[in-house]
Amino acid sequence: MILNIKKNKNGYAVLELIFYIAIFVILSILVIDAMITMTKSFRETVIQAELVQSGTIMEKISREIRASYGINSISASDLILNTKNDAGANKTVEFKFVGTDIQFWDAGSNIGNLNTPKIVVTALSFTQITTVKGKAVKISLTIKSANDALGRTQNFYDTIVLRGSY
Amino acid sequence: MKKITKNSGFMIVEVLVAVSIMTVSILVAMAVAQKSVYVSRQAFHATQAAFLLEEGAENARIARDNAWSNVAPLNSSEQIGIFTRTVVASSASRDNTTKDISIMGTDDSGTKLITVTVSWPEGGVTITKTLQFYIMNIFS
Repeated sequence: MILNIKKNKNGYAVLELIFYIAIFVILSILVIDAMITMTKSFRETVIQAELVQSGTIMEKISREIRASYGINSISASDLILNTKNDAGANKTVEFKFVGTDIQFWDAGSNIGNLNTPKIVVTALSFTQITTVKGKAVKISLTIKSANDALGRTQNFYDTIVLRGSY
Repeated sequence: MKKITKNSGFMIVEVLVAVSIMTVSILVAMAVAQKSVYVSRQAFHATQAAFLLEEGAENARIARDNAWSNVAPLNSSEQIGIFTRTVVASSASRDNTTKDISIMGTDDSGTKLITVTVSWPEGGVTITKTLQFYIMNIFS
């Protein structure tokens, strides 16, 4: 009788243990998977934030083109615009694609890169459109994040009419 | 002997409950992280779409700068990556007395309403951004 009870108790404990270990294993697999997913998504969020921020490159280029009255010189990766400074005197601004950066030149001096250090510019092109009444520039910009292990590139397109020429 | 057995059983249940709570909270945090990826991707696509909208508007202006007769037939749809852009020109009317643009009144051949639409698929739903503006025949 005593032996029987002892046996029963032992068997129950082992079963219980197996049951709990199984649950713990399943839970820990879930948790580890969640941790990996979270790490990945935080990295992805960082990359997307960098890409959104680089929209300011396009904004800067399009604003300068809109304000200018003429195109001084244009090539696929270099654009020099004739524009006016705050005092109304003529000056030039230039967008130059050098290596993986876009340099902004104001009145002949290099102001700096428009892209942040983590943004790699893979392609930039300017195309001139001439209309009966003026000119326009088509911009196409391809960027990627240096943090992105997959190296995905993203494109921005815009076309701006030179308002100063009207 | 009986007490010890009861205690150890209680502890396992306690640990189980604690681990379950931790698991649920970690799973919720994971859901939030995944949602944040969706939202940040959507934000980036919206940025790209904003430039495409602007380009569509500038294209209408280029058409106007070449010849006013180019504006009225504007009706295009194009695919740019994941984005679909349509540019449509429609007629605009002016009030007979105030000469303001209005729904009623006489059709003004020197004014057109341009509607630029950019849409793209985002996680099973299609997001659409629209830009509407009036363009006028200022060169003739």
